[in-house]
Amino acid sequence: MLTKKVKKRASFLSLLLIFLIIAVFFILKSLTSNILYFKSPTDIQLSQDIIFSKKIRVGGMVKKNSININNKEIKFIITDLKHELAVSYSGTVPNLFSEGKGVVAEGKLQDKNFFIADRILAKHDEKYMPPELKDLMKKNVK
Amino acid sequence: MFDLINPSRIFHWIEKLINFINSIFFILLIIALTFALILSPPDYLQGDSVRIMYVHVPSAWIGLASFTSIALLSILNFIFKIKNLNLITKSIAPLGLMFTCLAIVTGSLWGQPTWGTWWAWDARITSMVVLSIFYILFILAHKLIEQEDKANKVSNIIAIIGLVNIPVIKYSVDWWNTLHQPSSIKLDGTSSIHPSMLLPLMLMLLVLLLYCALILLMKYKTEIIRIKKKNIKRI
Amino acid sequence: MIQNFISMNGYGLFVWLSFAITFLACATIYYKTYKTLKKYEKDFAKELEQLSASERKLVLEKSKVASQVLASYNKSI
Repeated sequence: MLTKKVKKRASFLSLLLIFLIIAVFFILKSLTSNILYFKSPTDIQLSQDIIFSKKIRVGGMVKKNSININNKEIKFIITDLKHELAVSYSGTVPNLFSEGKGVVAEGKLQDKNFFIADRILAKHDEKYMPPELKDLMKKNVK
Repeated sequence: MFDLINPSRIFHWIEKLINFINSIFFILLIIALTFALILSPPDYLQGDSVRIMYVHVPSAWIGLASFTSIALLSILNFIFKIKNLNLITKSIAPLGLMFTCLAIVTGSLWGQPTWGTWWAWDARITSMVVLSIFYILFILAHKLIEQEDKANKVSNIIAIIGLVNIPVIKYSVDWWNTLHQPSSIKLDGTSSIHPSMLLPLMLMLLVLLLYCALILLMKYKTEIIRIKKKNIKRI
Repeated sequence: MIQNFISMNGYGLFVWLSFAITFLACATIYYKTYKTLKKYEKDFAKELEQLSASERKLVLEKSKVASQVLASYNKSI
């Protein structure tokens, strides 16, 4: 069954696949900064060359008890548990935006610690459960 | 053994299977929809919008599984030149494309009320769009190239190249920061979905898989009739 | 109760639209596949009719598939 031709095609194909995987790996590796949908506050603290006029996205968790609403302006702090970034935003927020939940803010950096957003997206996690269960869990924690 | 691959025997079994699926399909569909839309609880965070998951996730899985099977069959076909495999990959492709597009559209409908945007060029969503482009190329290769041998060869190569994209889709949410959440159901079988929501998800998956089986069986039947018609005098 | 079911606490449009789109797409593909199948059954039946009476009898006797296709075609008209 394994004639010469079959062997030849099989080896050609495995070579092709190995080559493809390596090529795709390097393409993705070199594009990493473009593939990342948002930067974390730590990325911003550590990066040397920030272009302040360029629009970027920053993501992390909304710090507990940090949301401050006055008039139309919403101020809150994005944290990745290592570094923090203060964000100011005016406009409507998605339903899922709340303290302790994931968030992605789109806008411009003023300096390394202050960010003015013109769009807020909510990021939720992969856990799904009924509301009663969540209440139960909260009680147990307390 | 020879009896099993006798076309009239296969035809008989296909007929029986189609009838069987037809008889249970609507009952299962109604049960699955009742669970998905009425009996399952809303999510603690997302409320009722979580119900979109029951069509979004099975569609995405079927889209991925179809392409994986097309690519694996293409590899077999490329090495061993088994002609009939092309008939199978050719009939899976439109179904896979439809479910990939459904995953993208329902995902967009889910993103608007939860994330606050219809569309985001994050790694998961972009790699799903790339998957749908591979499906379209595969189907176009069969439509545009008139020589059958050449069309088969080109489409096989397209499917094999597209195979590299599959792990990228699967692990995109782990490798990069994405707006899309990580997978809820891991390959090792652990799940972060509450059982009361996992049940409708699995029921909907079952219904959609039965639907795919029904379509593929009907296509297989059409193919047998086509071949029989060609050599009607020789039967 | 029913109003709640339809509005889904404000998410109704998104939920119902995604289920409707899925259903419509599936139904369209099913209809197309079904039509192609029926077309081939019809072509097959026509081909049989063109044969002479003795040939047709022979084909139907020898091939289960042929008689099944013919039966299913006759049922659908």
